Amino acid sequence: MERHTDMRSLDGERALFWSLPALILSWVLVFLFFPGFFPPLPPTMSADEVAAFYRDPANQPLIRYSLIVFNWFGIGVIVLLTLLVMQIRRMAHRTPILAYCYLGCATAGPVLFFVADLFWLLAAFRPERDPQLTLLFHDLAWITFTSPVCFLIGQCVFLALAIFLDRQPQPVFPRWVAHFNLAVAVAIAPAAFSVTTLEGPLAWDGALSFWLRNAAIGLWLVVMTLVLGRNVLRERSAMEAAA
Amino acid sequence: MSRAPRDGGLAARLREQWRQNPKLELWLAWWTMVVFYQIFGIVFVLMTRVMPPPKPWWEPERVAQWFADTHDGLVWGFGIIFLISFMAPACNALIGYSMRRMSVSPVFAYSYIAIYSVSAFPGMLLAALLLCAGALRPDRDPQIISWLYDAAFMTFVGTMGLFLVGTAVWMVAILLDKNRVFPLWFGYLNICNLLTEVVVAPAWIFKAGPFAWNGVITFWIDTLVFAVYTAVFIALLRRMTVRDDLREGPLPETPQLATTASLRF
Repeated sequence: MERHTDMRSLDGERALFWSLPALILSWVLVFLFFPGFFPPLPPTMSADEVAAFYRDPANQPLIRYSLIVFNWFGIGVIVLLTLLVMQIRRMAHRTPILAYCYLGCATAGPVLFFVADLFWLLAAFRPERDPQLTLLFHDLAWITFTSPVCFLIGQCVFLALAIFLDRQPQPVFPRWVAHFNLAVAVAIAPAAFSVTTLEGPLAWDGALSFWLRNAAIGLWLVVMTLVLGRNVLRERSAMEAAA
Repeated sequence: MSRAPRDGGLAARLREQWRQNPKLELWLAWWTMVVFYQIFGIVFVLMTRVMPPPKPWWEPERVAQWFADTHDGLVWGFGIIFLISFMAPACNALIGYSMRRMSVSPVFAYSYIAIYSVSAFPGMLLAALLLCAGALRPDRDPQIISWLYDAAFMTFVGTMGLFLVGTAVWMVAILLDKNRVFPLWFGYLNICNLLTEVVVAPAWIFKAGPFAWNGVITFWIDTLVFAVYTAVFIALLRRMTVRDDLREGPLPETPQLATTASLRF
């Protein structure tokens, strides 16, 4: 596969990288301001209680504005993932297969967050609707947000594999990044089974499916932005020094 | 090229492959594909009872009863799907690589990977999410449960174009390829898989008979064709990996890089 060694191919990667802190800030703000997350709404709530949550005049603006912000910027995580695809393409692999695996996860995964955002916004759009219908959108939002963790796991597993197989004197990422990604994959995994129960650590508001999973995603966003930034900024400096 | 030591156990041979096999990336993707389709079959046939599908003509009360009867299989089965579906991109990556190994433009590989990345949501995960929502609350209004049931089966069965166009892209690449990555007859076999997506369209209209979502034609014949097609391309991708010399130009007919003999475990 071709290597990107000319400077033009790196142009703009640094600009995209500097958009990531704003992206992470938007994720954190949404997480803090969406009233359904602190504390996470338990799945045991009745239809009337769920409808009351969306009808509450104190909640309505926070629900809508936070979800609109997430609708705008949440998908920006694809930029981070695609910058990581470029790092994988610079590794000493014999085929582009692992980069393709990562690109597949990067495109299929964030859609799930986006659809969850749409379901929540729909639940909030006409809160005076029959509570059974509000509950339906509410359930679909929470399930879509929490359970399909496959592509988040894939991002971690394929990147770890790519790092292990990057067999060259100066690998693109240090090996601890691979181990970190595998640990994050393990932390995210239990959430896949959140639908099996309405209570306990596996439920969508539970210690495993909500707190451990989302803490792992947050930590992953920050750590991967940092290790990516070191590479993107160093590559560019090396190019400029060589030019 | 060193062979795996004959005296070593499975772990030793695997470690040897991990260190030495120049086609490790291809073999990892191929084995991931094999494991994914096995788990997919177990979950969709044995656990969630989505294949063969329940009846499209059931009244809402009967549908609610089906969710109650299948509850554990649905939530644990789809839990497994939510956990392991990251394997699907490995299948798409390997098939995409097969097109990069051909003499054709990369546009085929990139189109295929993009189309199949999109297909994961409408073609499988959406149905899984809708059925999980149905299973989550057995006390939900049967009319709403019935809506979830229809939406799940119709998105699962009725997502056609992505697989239609995706298969067509692979087919055209195979027919144009001068590197002989696949035999020509496999190019034409793609037409059979492509036609299943055409034949399934009446499921959007009929609620009973051979063209309903559980019909003899729409489900049984289509699933048979899909199963044969999948088994064939898994075998042919294995053959491609065995023959591959990791270079450009025609794919050698004989095994290259002496790596496969020790990979049989």
